[in-house]
Parts: sequence; C-alpha cells; structure tokens
Amino acid sequence: MKKKMTPRQRTEAIWGLCLIAPTIIGLLILNYYPIFETVWQSLCKTGDFGKGNTFIGLTNFINLFQDKEVFSTLFNSFKYAVLSLPLTIFISLVLAVLMNRKMHGRTVYRTIYFLPMVCAPAAIAMVWKWMFNQDYGLLNHLIGTKISWVTDPTIALIAIVVVGVWSGIGNNMILFLGGLQDIPKDYYEAASVDGSTGIHTFFHITIPLLSPTIFFVVQTGVMGALNLFDLPYMIMDQSSRAWPSVKTITYLFYEYAFERSNRGYGAAIIMFLIAIISIITVILQKSEKKWVHYN
Amino acid sequence: MKKKLAALLLAVLMVLTMTACGDSGNSGESAGGSGNASGTIRVALWDNNQLAGLKEIADAWTQQSGIQVEFTVMDWGSYWTMLEAGVSGGEMPDVFWMHSNNADKYMGAGVLLNLNDYIAADENTDLSNYFEGITALYSQNGNQYALPKDHDTIAIVYNKAIFDKYGVAYPTDDWTWEDFAAKAQEISEKGAADGIYGTYCNTGSNQDTWYNIIYSFGGKVISDDKKTSGFDDPNTLKAMKFVADEILPACPTPDSMASTGGDTMFLSGLIGMVSQGSWMVNGYYTADNASDYAWVMMPYEDVNGNGQCDKEERCTIYNGLGWSIYADTKNPDAAYSLISYLSSKEAQTKQSELGVTMAGYIGCSEPFAKAFGDMDVSAFVDIEEQGTLVFRPYSKSTAIWEDDASLALVQAWSAPETMEEVCKQIAADMNKTLSEE
Repeated sequence: MKKKMTPRQRTEAIWGLCLIAPTIIGLLILNYYPIFETVWQSLCKTGDFGKGNTFIGLTNFINLFQDKEVFSTLFNSFKYAVLSLPLTIFISLVLAVLMNRKMHGRTVYRTIYFLPMVCAPAAIAMVWKWMFNQDYGLLNHLIGTKISWVTDPTIALIAIVVVGVWSGIGNNMILFLGGLQDIPKDYYEAASVDGSTGIHTFFHITIPLLSPTIFFVVQTGVMGALNLFDLPYMIMDQSSRAWPSVKTITYLFYEYAFERSNRGYGAAIIMFLIAIISIITVILQKSEKKWVHYN
Repeated sequence: MKKKLAALLLAVLMVLTMTACGDSGNSGESAGGSGNASGTIRVALWDNNQLAGLKEIADAWTQQSGIQVEFTVMDWGSYWTMLEAGVSGGEMPDVFWMHSNNADKYMGAGVLLNLNDYIAADENTDLSNYFEGITALYSQNGNQYALPKDHDTIAIVYNKAIFDKYGVAYPTDDWTWEDFAAKAQEISEKGAADGIYGTYCNTGSNQDTWYNIIYSFGGKVISDDKKTSGFDDPNTLKAMKFVADEILPACPTPDSMASTGGDTMFLSGLIGMVSQGSWMVNGYYTADNASDYAWVMMPYEDVNGNGQCDKEERCTIYNGLGWSIYADTKNPDAAYSLISYLSSKEAQTKQSELGVTMAGYIGCSEPFAKAFGDMDVSAFVDIEEQGTLVFRPYSKSTAIWEDDASLALVQAWSAPETMEEVCKQIAADMNKTLSEE
C-alpha cells in the first residue's frame, strides 16, 4: 500500500531533493555518465575527438586476451600489490600500536609519520627520483655505492614499493589508531589479570578487535595498489631497461587511451582491470565472515 | 510563507546570476565574432618563451586592424588536453599552434579551417615562399590547414671549459661524424675520473641526434611515400651501428642516461658536447655558464669519400609549427588576416630578430643568428646553405611507431652488438603499424 504524503511531507521531500540535486547531478554527470561511456567505448573502434565511434562488438576484448603486454603489466601490478600491501599494513600497525600510549612527543611523531600524506604524490615522486639517481643521488652517496635503483630490472620494482609504502604508512597508521582507540580497556585489564604478556595480548586481543579496520585497509589497499600509476610514471624514464618490469596495467591503459589515441582499446583494458578488482573484492567480502570480528 | 518566498527568491536569484555569468561569456564571444573593429581574436600557444616576442608582433597587426589579440599560454600537456576538450565542447581559441605530432588527427577531424580560398584571395601569401616540408605537413588532400609559423634545425653545442680542461681542440664546421665520435671518446677517457663524458645520446634523442646521423649516412627512417619503414635500409643500419659502436662509448651508461636528462647533465658541466634543437637555445643562453657555451654546425658524413662535405652529406632534421584557425570560429576573416600577417615576410623577419624562433618563411632567419647577444647561433641558420634540411619523418601514426622504436632501442643501448637485429625488428613492427594506418 502506498502511503499518501501529507502536504508538509511532500514539501519537505521536494526541498530535500532540491538540496541534494547538485550532488546527484554532479554524480550523474561526472561519475555515472563516464562509466557507461567507457563501457560503450570498449565495444567501439573509437574516432578522434569522440566522433565517429563504430561498434565492433568484442573485438577489443579478443585482442586484449591475446596481448601478452596486458598480462605482463597486470602481473607487475599484482607484484606491486603483493609486495607493498603486507609491508604497509605491518609497519603502520606496529607504529600505530607504539603511538597509542602515553609518551613524550607523541603528537610530533604522529605528525612526522602523517606528513607524507599531506604532500602531493607528484612532488614525492620527484624527490625520490633524485634520491634514487644512480650517479648523483643521495642514497648512493650516503651508502657509497653505485646501485641502479630504478634502472636495474631486478630491483626497480622494489624501489617503487619503498616509495609506495613510505607514502602510505601515515594514512593507514591514522586509521589503525582510530581502530585501536575503539577497543575498550577492559579487555586488556582482564588479559593482564589472566597473566597475558605483551605479544600474546597483541595477537589475541588487539588483532581480532582491530580486524574491521584491517579489513578496510586491506580492501582499499588492494584497489589502490592495482590502480598504481603515478609513482612509476614520475620516477622512471621510459628509456630505462627496467621499465618493462615495472610498467603497470593502468599505465598501459593511459598509453593506449591518450598517447596512441586508441580510446576503445584503452577502455577495454580498464574494463578488464575493473572485472579483476571486482572478483578480488567479492572474494575478500566472502572471507570477511571468517576472520573479521565485529564486537 | 514569508520564509518560503524568500527562499524561492534566493533560488531564482541564484539561477539568474548563473545564467548571467553564462550570458556575459557568450556576449563576449559574439562581440569577438561579429567582425567589427572592436573584436578580439583569442590565440593559444604552449611556449611561454615566445609570448613576449609574439605579443609585440601581434600588436603591430592590432594597430592596422583595430582588433585585439588575446594570448593564452599553457604547458604542452594541458595545451593538447584543452584543444581536445575544446573540440568536443565547442569552446575553442580562434587561432592556435599546430604541431606535426597531431596535425593529421586535427585535419582529418575537420577541426581546422580550410585555408585554400583565403590563400587564393590573398595576394600577399604565396605558399612557395615557405619551407616545403612544413606546408606539406599541414595540408591534406590538397587542402591547406595552417600557415607556417617557424622552422627549427639542429646544431652542436659544446662546453669550452671542458675542451680546455682536457686539451681537446674545439669542434669546427669541418668535422665529420667520425671526428665528432673520436673527440667525444677522448673527452670520456680523459674525464673518466671526474665523471665527465664526451657526449650524450639516449634512445629518445631521435629528432635532435640519431635521426640526423641516419640521414647524413644516406639512410632514412620512413620511405618517401610513407608506406614502409627505413630502419632496415642498409645505410640506416650502418648509421645506427655507428651510433652503437662509436657514439655510445662516449656517452654516460644507458642506466645513467635513463636517470638524468642530457640538457641537465650538459648544463651541470658533465657533458662535453651534444646536439640540440634551436628551440632549446634560450635555455642555454640564460644558463649560469652561458659564456662557456658555443655552437657549431652538425658534422657531416663523407659518404662518397671525396674528402669534402657535399651538401647532402650534412643533414639536419627540421620541423615547423603552423598557425591554424578553428573551423567554427565566429570571425574567420579576422583570424585569417592575423595569421597571414604573422606568416608575412615582415613579421617572420621580426620573429627572428626578436630571437623568438627562426622563420617558416625561407630566407628570413638570418637575424636569428645574432639575436642572442654574445652567443653566436649562426650554426642553425648556416646549415640551410651548407647542408640539407630533412623534414622530421612522420606519417599518420608517428606517435605509435616513434614510441615503439625508442622502447625497442633500449635493448640495443644496453647491448650495442644487437643493434642491427633490433633495427630490423623495429622495421618489421613499424611496417605493420604503417599498414594499419
């Protein structure tokens, strides 16, 4: 049964709609329209300036599955995610636990660790690029070595991971701190009465009760890592022999869509990436029940 | 009730101000488009170094025509994004620069005004006065879409302080590429302890370095009909092997070059000499150690072995921008009048005098050589008489095959003995790209 609204409710509803209209319109134009446009473009051979798109069905996707570069770049993105995510989570969790107690200069430390979040990623990348520089960089100068940080295929990705982890720690640490402060003190008191020591308490009380935050960080972290674009693009030069071992799938998308003006194929690549991220998200959501505890 | 009314009034007011904003924008545009003497022509470009000079030249046109010129400068990346978005959204500058990387795309999409009728009716403009490669670049199916703005060439810049330090004789205009390589290697050997190298040539240094060597050796990058690759041409292979065997040993390691750019290293006093485009002159002229820098012509390659430089043995790649007009501009007559003035002999000469760039009009570039005070840059101009200008190789899909070639060469740079193999592979890939155009 449909309930009839009173005149007052009706006016309220209308005004409510009016007030959120800017946001709705913004979302529709800036988010939803581009999504459908991208889906459509992935099925087209695109013309210049968005004119003259011709429908070619799944051709872009058929080409995509035969394109070795799609898989090698996807593999690079995965490698980055697998290397950077555990490190980021581990370091920021440890830091958060250390910061979550009364100590001198606590706010100073928190600020220091959070500072990278405030800097523009491009600026961070430029500074690291110079620190990594083989001949004139700060790193080699300090250690007294001649390591090709970002031009040696075996270590270039690790160098990128270092920057990614460094700039991701601050944000995750704040999230973990928030989670830690939500854990009631009673649990710790009860544990210490029962004779539990620091490490034991950490694994049996802190980690389980922090699991919702960890889950959130893992989920957003996977998405962020698979979408990695700016760090390799800014830090490395394409004439580096390590480039093929670091090039990510989002860079491949950029290359086709913007440098080679093949929007259709670029759109297909990004649809493929979205599908993969969705699958991972579904798996994570399913696993949620097994290890995430909401008290 | 009163409150509601007030709210409604406010909302109406807001909408009104918004439309008012839109209106004022439109009316400004239509005033510009009405073709009367009070209008404005909007010009977009990407190089801030050229703005002051071009403004001065455009002022002269404003005095004749009474029409204002409004310049907008963006960096290279945002420039093309702005045009791309402008084409879809209809908000475009009236007059803007065109470049060889994108010309085909813009001409093919009907974004640029066809200038044929305007040129035919304009007794002051004769396309044969301009560099052929540039006029050809901006024409498609017999239609002309831009007037030449300038041309650029390549020359060698060297650091006298480094040559003095190691007791190596300065480069001269009589050098062959072998001389160049030998002296560069000598500097690298003597400067090894100081981290100083003879020269710099990276995989992406095509227009300013190895394209020039290919053409001096009699090779080519793409066939004249733009249907096949020249990377497997015997002379091209010879030139690229020369790069691998003689030039690269005098350069920093490939890893170093992938980390630090050539101009950065040169300006830091770490490179003895390097070939550079005329569009870079201002950066060298305003550098801290500018008094140490000097320019000579590109070396030649004695292909026929007669012991002297023949015209076709000394090559420089050249390229040129074009002045183009938006096809749907409100004021095509005034816009054409402006670009025809900017490309006229008078304005082109002034452009050289002011050191903005060399001219697209043949024979107007002489003043450029003297435009930089004590720094003599006549090497860029002299090569017009004493060498051969080769237009930068291009086809519809330049952006794809040029990028592919640079990426493929990374392997040859690390392992120079594989150069021939890599070049043949580049040729095969490039032929495939060309066949799909």
